[in-house]
Amino acid sequence: MKYLFIDSATSTLVVAIIIDDKVTYIYNEEVGRDMSSDIMPIISKAFQESNIKPQELDKIFAVNGPGSFTGIRVGLTVAKVMAWSLKIPVIPISSLEVIASTPASGNNIALIDARRGFVYAGIYDENLNVVMDDKHMELAKLNIDGQIVSYDDFSGIKPDIDVLKVIKKHKDDKGVNPHKLNPKYLKLTEAEEKLNKQNDNGSK
Amino acid sequence: MSTYILAIETSCDETSMAIIKDGHDEIATVVLSQMDTHANYGGVVPEIASRMHIENITLVAEEVLKKANMTMDDITAIAVTYGPGLIGSLLIGLMAAKTLAFIYNKPLVPVHHIAGHIYANNLVKQLEFPLIALVISGGHTELIYMKDDYSFEKLGGTLDDAVGEAYDKVARVIGVPYPGGPLVDKLAHEGEATYDLPLPLDDDSYNFSFSGLKSAVINLVHNEKQRGREINQKDMASSFQNRVVEILTKKTLRALKEYDVHNLIVAGGVAANKGLRERLAKECSANDIHLTVPEIKYCTDNAAMIGAAGYFAYKLGRRADLSLNAKASDKLN
Repeated sequence: MKYLFIDSATSTLVVAIIIDDKVTYIYNEEVGRDMSSDIMPIISKAFQESNIKPQELDKIFAVNGPGSFTGIRVGLTVAKVMAWSLKIPVIPISSLEVIASTPASGNNIALIDARRGFVYAGIYDENLNVVMDDKHMELAKLNIDGQIVSYDDFSGIKPDIDVLKVIKKHKDDKGVNPHKLNPKYLKLTEAEEKLNKQNDNGSK
Repeated sequence: MSTYILAIETSCDETSMAIIKDGHDEIATVVLSQMDTHANYGGVVPEIASRMHIENITLVAEEVLKKANMTMDDITAIAVTYGPGLIGSLLIGLMAAKTLAFIYNKPLVPVHHIAGHIYANNLVKQLEFPLIALVISGGHTELIYMKDDYSFEKLGGTLDDAVGEAYDKVARVIGVPYPGGPLVDKLAHEGEATYDLPLPLDDDSYNFSFSGLKSAVINLVHNEKQRGREINQKDMASSFQNRVVEILTKKTLRALKEYDVHNLIVAGGVAANKGLRERLAKECSANDIHLTVPEIKYCTDNAAMIGAAGYFAYKLGRRADLSLNAKASDKLN
């Protein structure tokens, strides 16, 4: 089986090709602001070095959030268009679960900085079972019982992700219709929050 | 052999794709407008626009191929708006275009949004050169001289608000709901230009400025309010539109004369403005100038125009590789 894996939710871009449970290519580096420029050439290289064509893919694993809104959309648009066009299943993956695939002896607390004292947080055990669902929350309210893993500056360890572990966990997940593959922002836009507040006040 | 361009446009709040044959023949176009959503916020909210683009991008792609009864194998090249526009919005169309270009090994053609607006006219009638293009929309106000296909010389542009932006802001001030432009145009026809407003940036340049005119409207409305009087909405719309049409017409006619050009094309969302269309038609017929204005559906943002421009860019050998990035602003060339 031939899989493509894409994670562009943080400034560390991950692109991997997996053929018969072996990683034949992986890019796992910080690209920062140039995500939209870098991602397609990297994906192209991934196919080239793995010696396969996109048409040979069986499935796509795509991170759909949470994280940088624009970053998520950049990678997810690629996954969505590819899966739709090639008529293959696409499996949404949590960015926090990918971070939590870092080796651990207990629970991993995956964090992405959401600014102003907020984080995207998810807690997973060493087999990537969900201990706490991904959420957008105040850092101060996080009940820390485990190892913090984050690319951002929290007192914890940096991610050392294991793409194969994530894929093995989700290999048999039911794919979603590419038309319905959308980001999981876990947060409304500021404009929506403001409008909701106005509407709430209006109805009181 | 015919050239079929699959065009993608997501620069603002319309998710659009089209298939255009040989730069003038519209095979299929799909436009999914988000206007109703943004109306709740009184204007386009960039993050919401981006969110809606990604939700709809494959639906629009599927629909356009279905409508054209074609597959990706029938497509010669993929043209995409890379800028100017809202970065988050542009990126969805751009990533979709790059993905399709990669999978199907098709040439990727970058198209400037303004080139698209100009070439919308090519869907109506083949462009004749040299020409002057007046590009007017919510984001742009520019006078462009074209000696030949895909040669753009900017003569001037707005120094502050785009003309469509000024329309929307004035609409808000006089109590017309978003998007106010078309409604102000309609009200202008029912009123009379009784309010004294300045002719903005009436100088020797080809530049425009609408913020002063907008401020003049705001001041007038406030003054009247302080005196306990209501402004006459129709008369104010008429007075405002009168000044806008006057300055646009004046500078455009001067450009035609100075460059000795007899072809004028109008493009962009504000090209739908009835007051301006009527005035330009009158002036052009009196001055032996051939005027082309696209149908309303080609005035607002759509991918058909990107497919028309994309064809000429493709023929000229314009290509982008997979690292093509979106640009919020970029010179038209």
